[in-house]
Amino acid sequence: MSDTSAVSLARRPWQEWVTLAARLILGVTILVAGLLKVTRLDASVQSVRLYQILPWDFAFFVGTALPILEVIVGLLLITGTFTRVSAVAGSLMMLAFIIGIASVWARGISIDCGCFGDGGAIDASLTQYPLEILRDTGLLLTGVWTVWRPKAPFAVDNWLFAPIDHTDSAPEPITEDDKESTR
Amino acid sequence: MSQSNREQLRRNQAAQAQQKRLTRIIGVGAAVLVVVLIGVFIAVVIQNQAHTVTASSATPPNATASKDAIVVNPGKATAGAPVVELFFDYQCPVCKQFEGIYGASLKSLAESGAIELRYRNMTFLDNNFNNDASLRAGIGAACSDFSGKYSAYHEEIYANQPANEGDGYTDEVLRATIPATLGITGADLTSFQSCYDDQTTKAFVQGTNDAASKSGVNATPSFHVNGKDLSLQTIAGVQPDGLGDLIKQNA
Repeated sequence: MSDTSAVSLARRPWQEWVTLAARLILGVTILVAGLLKVTRLDASVQSVRLYQILPWDFAFFVGTALPILEVIVGLLLITGTFTRVSAVAGSLMMLAFIIGIASVWARGISIDCGCFGDGGAIDASLTQYPLEILRDTGLLLTGVWTVWRPKAPFAVDNWLFAPIDHTDSAPEPITEDDKESTR
Repeated sequence: MSQSNREQLRRNQAAQAQQKRLTRIIGVGAAVLVVVLIGVFIAVVIQNQAHTVTASSATPPNATASKDAIVVNPGKATAGAPVVELFFDYQCPVCKQFEGIYGASLKSLAESGAIELRYRNMTFLDNNFNNDASLRAGIGAACSDFSGKYSAYHEEIYANQPANEGDGYTDEVLRATIPATLGITGADLTSFQSCYDDQTTKAFVQGTNDAASKSGVNATPSFHVNGKDLSLQTIAGVQPDGLGDLIKQNA
């Protein structure tokens, strides 16, 4: 792969390095959040219920599925697999978390956000809503950037969507797939 | 080879390469989707199984009709007496403190029939501490109701609460030490221990936790008078012997 040679790495535009950083920050955060919850699904369900947004039984499904999805989306982002789709998923998660935290804040409910598995009702003086929202907004920005510019070094996508290598010089009409790989 | 044949071959190769690329993309995409679906499916199945009711399941004799609480003073409350509900978790240190300060006066109000006292056991601290001590303590307490010792067993659990929050209760304490202290012996002890060992009241205890959580209680201790929350701050404003009046005012 030409990607990994030193010359072509150095020639990459700076935006691709920003994307790599954004992808890794978002991916590692989501992966860690998922791993911390995946072995304690009861606690995850309970955290979702503490937001008092989703219906009781649906919260069971969300609390169970979310950690699994987080682990998978985190891995996809870190490896740069289907980067744009994964970044959309990661951004939507962050958006949902921001809305959730803002909602409990507005309703005067005192909880730990449970983002990394330690959810629970806590004393009002211990809530950290501004910090939690700030953190998730930053992560949302990394996600939005990655959706906008998904191309980056060290990505499975570079192999997966590699353009077909035409050994002769006859120009091929650009197809949808080619556009995808050069996005 | 003619020019057109060569062109044809080149096109075929290009089409093959294109096909290979497409297969690769669809293959990886499908693999990711399958991993997502299987992962979520397995998690939901495991979670569902963990909450499946065990074969031998029983409801304590003094449970409310809706199975959301155990009545501490069955048949004693006078007509129209306020219903007082105490929400607690056996691993909650503040619940133990609350019991220590107000437990005796609650008990005497219950004994005199001035209130109907209901204990609503919650187990959510198991999730916070990543153990199952609240659930097992709840199972033991519910089992003790069959021997008519619910209230005393409840107090003894707090008396045995570990100093270090989250250390939990051992099976030894719940199935042997506390019954011995309460004088549960002989056939009563045998049936109590089989109730505890078979987790006969597990579904009931999970049900009381879920019912409390569904009704919006997510912190313990919580105190309801006729279904209305009476805050701990308000209660802390009165001495234990003033609790009866406070309940009357808020009934």
